[in-house]
Amino acid sequence: MIKVKNISKVYGKKRVVNSINFEVNKGEIYGLLGPNAAGKTTTIRMLATAITPSSGEATMANLDLFTQPNEIKLRIGYVAQYFGLYEELSVIENIRFYASLYGIDNEELFHELMKTYKIDHFVNKRSGDLSGGYLRRLALICALTHDPDILLLDEPTAGIDPVTRKVLWDLFYELAQNGKTLFVTTHYMEEAARCNNIAFLNSGNIVAQGSPDEIRHSLSENDVYLLKAKFGSNLVKELDRKEEIRLINQYGEELRFVVNKSLSKEQLHKLIEPYVDEEFELLESSPNLEDVFIALTQEEM
Amino acid sequence: MKSIIPFAKKELIQLKRDPRLIGFLIFMPIMLMILFGYGLRLEPKNVKMAFVDNDKSYFSNLIKTNLWNEGYFELYEVSTKEGIEEEIRKGNAKAGLYIDKTFSKLLTDNAQPHVVFYVDGTMPSLTTAMRNKSSALNDDEVTNDMYFLDEDDTSTVIAAEPFIMDTEVLFNPDEKETWFFLPGVIGVLIMQIALILAGTSVVRERESNTLEQLLVSPLSKVDFILGKMFPYVLISLFEFYFILFIGWSMFEIPIPSSAIGGLVLLSVVYTASMISLGLLISTVSQTQQQAMFLAIFVIIPSILLAGFIFPIEAMHEYIRPIAYMIPFTYFVEIIRGLLIKQTLMTDMIIPFAALTAFSLLFTILSIIKFKRITQ
Repeated sequence: MIKVKNISKVYGKKRVVNSINFEVNKGEIYGLLGPNAAGKTTTIRMLATAITPSSGEATMANLDLFTQPNEIKLRIGYVAQYFGLYEELSVIENIRFYASLYGIDNEELFHELMKTYKIDHFVNKRSGDLSGGYLRRLALICALTHDPDILLLDEPTAGIDPVTRKVLWDLFYELAQNGKTLFVTTHYMEEAARCNNIAFLNSGNIVAQGSPDEIRHSLSENDVYLLKAKFGSNLVKELDRKEEIRLINQYGEELRFVVNKSLSKEQLHKLIEPYVDEEFELLESSPNLEDVFIALTQEEM
Repeated sequence: MKSIIPFAKKELIQLKRDPRLIGFLIFMPIMLMILFGYGLRLEPKNVKMAFVDNDKSYFSNLIKTNLWNEGYFELYEVSTKEGIEEEIRKGNAKAGLYIDKTFSKLLTDNAQPHVVFYVDGTMPSLTTAMRNKSSALNDDEVTNDMYFLDEDDTSTVIAAEPFIMDTEVLFNPDEKETWFFLPGVIGVLIMQIALILAGTSVVRERESNTLEQLLVSPLSKVDFILGKMFPYVLISLFEFYFILFIGWSMFEIPIPSSAIGGLVLLSVVYTASMISLGLLISTVSQTQQQAMFLAIFVIIPSILLAGFIFPIEAMHEYIRPIAYMIPFTYFVEIIRGLLIKQTLMTDMIIPFAALTAFSLLFTILSIIKFKRITQ
């Protein structure tokens, strides 16, 4: 559904997106993961035809991004990061306005969508008075009235509570099951884990791509250990310098070590001992997406 | 109390980081100082004066030469007495002089001939100033050579004034200030609506991120701009006729039937020029605040320099060209022409063309700029 080949975006001397490649199949949820300023929004804006890529090739729904942007506009729905809704307009007025841009005037459809997205009790409420979760539902409806094949969602759940986030993801899955192709940017790991396929973008380069499982396995030459004990304050600082230790990540009183296989469990235990007063045990774990994310991001830095 | 200083400091840092605002804070006072210090005067200079000299004598030349030398009037010849009024009606001249062919004969006969001095009454402050300057027409420099003693007949009484100057105020004979101000007020109000409302409209879409959403929709950029401007055009047009109606019903501003066509055309081209300027402001501004400042930056000099309050004829010669770069100048000229001088539309092709050209220029510039910000 989406084919991107060597796409770049250059602003002046700055290469914001550097020759990236990926493919997204119909009915798939594809996640573009990366830290802030990695080029995620630039990428999704190029796919949304809001900006033109500087070079490369790309097709959306078999239409050329460079020569057929106007045809593409009819086949995509885009929800920008700070989705633009008119605060002074009510829920239904926003829907009517955005639908009218596509020549759609179908009150029955609008009400059906509001019902599906459970916003029908706010029909005449000003969108400026809606909470974050409902605003996103409304933005989603506004992007869906013309029944697009591809949905482009830029950070669709940023700043949203976990319950609402789940509700939104259930909706995304439903859309994918109904044959829509979803392209989602995010920096939430658990969100990336929900995608069928993901690409890691860092400083404009795709540094890894595949299914979440495949990505996790990209750290397979490493072991992951958990330390649950009271440790001295300079432990992280001192051990971070060791070459074999790729990553130390702290979660409350728990430390996660991602270490090269060349360093055995016993060796790591010895390294940690001076900083821990009590008896402790290292638990074996498996890499999660965050480990990969931080490891890949640090490599670039 | 303790937190006032750090808070004020933070505000100052924010102000400092907004280059356009600094520009505004620095250039606005400089501009106003220059305008009031050097540019704006109430004393006219180089006022165009159409004359007819049917006498073509040494004496009539004396009058013209003295007028010219004083520097207030710039004389040029027309062929008939009616031609003088026509030139003033068309706005080519602000004053006129008529010397009859019997002038020198009556003068030498001590019969006190009359010379007619015409002034345009549409701008009372200019009218008064021109009247004051008309003394060059019959001061001592001129009249010293005009006393004729008949040695054979010593009983002849020599009049104190060898000739009489008749002043004729054209078009607004009562020199009503409201006739002069009110038509211009229409232009000021439309300028405000267009520059402030339309000026903040595109940038508002940008600030609320709705522009992004529109750009990816099938809405074309031209449709966007036209759709954006249409309501403001309607409001401005309504405003135009509404104030005109008030002026006519409450202040007895004349609306001659000959002016209707011109008024319709004027409302369209002036509104178009202002809305397109507002659009341009909106596309070059990053925030609504900047757009507001830019709008004020345009409105103030427009009001001061357009001949709305201060006559262009009284401006410094370096400032005068700026007046002709302001659309409002042409509006003032046209509306006073149509309503007060009953100038025909066809006699004001240049100001109409200027307004049309401004509209085109501003529209093209804003489309170019808009395309650039959406790349």
